[in-house]
Amino acid sequence: MKQKAPCLDALLGLVAGLGLIALYAPLLATGALSFFQIVRVRGTLGFAPFSLDPYVALLANGEILAALSTSLVVATVSSLLALVLALMFAFYFVSARRGLGIAMQIMVFLPFLLPPIITGLSLLIAFREIDLGRGLVTIIIAHVVFIVPVVYRTVLVRLQLLGSSLTEASLDLGASRVQTLRYVILPQLRPALISGVLLAFAISFDETLITLFVAGSQTTLPIRLWAMMRVGFVPEINALATLIFLCTAAITFAIGLMQRAGERV
Amino acid sequence: MQPLLHLDNVSKRYGAVRVLDGIDITVADNEFLTILGPSGSGKTTILRIIGGFEGIDGGRLMFEGRDLSAVPINRRPFNTVFQDYALFHHMTVAENVGYGLKVRGRPKAEIAERVAEVLDTVGLGTLGGRYPALMSGGQRQRVALARAIICEPRLILLDEPLSALDVELRAQMQRFLKSLQRRLGIAFVFITHDQEEAIALSDRIIVVNRGRIEQEGAPEELYRRPRTPFTASFLGDNNLIPGRLAAVDGRLCTVDTAAGRLDATVDGPAPAPGSAVLLAVRPEHVRLDADPAARDGLPADVADVRFLGANVMIELLTPALPGAVIKVRRLADGAVAGLRPGASVRLGWAADDAALLQAAP
Repeated sequence: MKQKAPCLDALLGLVAGLGLIALYAPLLATGALSFFQIVRVRGTLGFAPFSLDPYVALLANGEILAALSTSLVVATVSSLLALVLALMFAFYFVSARRGLGIAMQIMVFLPFLLPPIITGLSLLIAFREIDLGRGLVTIIIAHVVFIVPVVYRTVLVRLQLLGSSLTEASLDLGASRVQTLRYVILPQLRPALISGVLLAFAISFDETLITLFVAGSQTTLPIRLWAMMRVGFVPEINALATLIFLCTAAITFAIGLMQRAGERV
Repeated sequence: MQPLLHLDNVSKRYGAVRVLDGIDITVADNEFLTILGPSGSGKTTILRIIGGFEGIDGGRLMFEGRDLSAVPINRRPFNTVFQDYALFHHMTVAENVGYGLKVRGRPKAEIAERVAEVLDTVGLGTLGGRYPALMSGGQRQRVALARAIICEPRLILLDEPLSALDVELRAQMQRFLKSLQRRLGIAFVFITHDQEEAIALSDRIIVVNRGRIEQEGAPEELYRRPRTPFTASFLGDNNLIPGRLAAVDGRLCTVDTAAGRLDATVDGPAPAPGSAVLLAVRPEHVRLDADPAARDGLPADVADVRFLGANVMIELLTPALPGAVIKVRRLADGAVAGLRPGASVRLGWAADDAALLQAAP
């Protein structure tokens, strides 16, 4: 039995609490400022009363809505493509010889671990070399390269946990490899697949730096936000930031739920 | 008669390690065959080779005279009950059991009917709708069995299926397995390291050690007439006394030991006189005389008396056999009540209870 140390527990709680405040205070401020705008009244600063004006302005802004739809398309397509690739890589890793598997794994992880500016630049040069015009396709390719490792990792952990005995049992009962994949392996991987895709979606949705290199004339939401801030601050930015935060938080929450479901199975 | 299955001189290597070395095993139809051995003996590898999970490096695997070596797992007419059961946790019990028929594309109505039948056979009649995660170890075991028998295989492979169960449940499942095997008339190949389990269940036992077959035969034959030192000490307890064979007269032999010339019996061909041999005497066959006036047998001192419930295990040290501990098993009744460590006794055995074994080279 571990000895209780009330002083130490209180200190840990305090440090953790301060850490959380430091992390989340700016986010809360952004959220609050999207509802209560700062105004100058006769030389002094003050808060305007509660208003949804920035949100209304946001919805009326065609450019932002266009950027949002681009971001949603990119995130959806690239996370699904990443899922297919990640599954193939993970199956390869558990069945291939160890050295080959590790070599493959390093190649999968490298674009994620390199500084984004290097990955972005390399992709840009590569697209120029093969003469692929920058646009939606290049953004999606870049995002797939970047998020495959995330899905791969999630799927691989679950796949290794499954071990070989379920596959052996299925084959033993007369199933083919394809039937085994369809009836046994994929259902067992489902929680990992869903949480991997959600995570990839969130990362793709927020990705800015690599996208800047390969976007061409296309605009995703983070790039739009970046562009808006360069020309001057408007209240819509707070509203937009708050919305993005809430969506990301919702996805993170969903991932947590999926992982709990995965542990139960 | 042609055997159902024949492992003909099968060898298997993992890298430089030779796990099976020219194994020869036959399985007859309807037989309950146990492969018994300590961990690392290669017994699980034998099962995995039969099931098709491992290839072989030498020899042949024949099923009813047909070479199975190139037949993949899912085309072999065998089913396996895995040590960890390997149930599909996202499926109900009924779906688990019906899986083998579903992948063969049988109609749903037929599957439902067969699943109900098989669940009845294993005593899980009403639990088809449950998920395996919500069942006890014994119930999961029955699900694994039901899943294996539904496809009516010619042979069922069982990989230490009872090792995860507690003692009482284990005894119950042993009786169940034995009666199930008789009812179904399917050959069972059962892997275990538990010699009591092997003796209780099997028609025939094959003792394996270090990738080789030590001895095979009916449980009683192996227990009464072990032919190798390994079988003698792995299957039940044995006192092994080293010596040199002096003379053979029919089944009766005389052996020179540290304790003088002792008698033993030999089964089958006797080793050449002068060769190194062992006398194997079961603890229950050692005679013990606590009467101080006794003159027969070797003098010994009681080193330890352990109460084991119905039995008492007595350990003796005798100056005639330095370094040897002679184990004696007795019913825990009045005859041994007075024995205490330090007491002087005399021990002996009938020549018929001392089996002569060739010493390991």
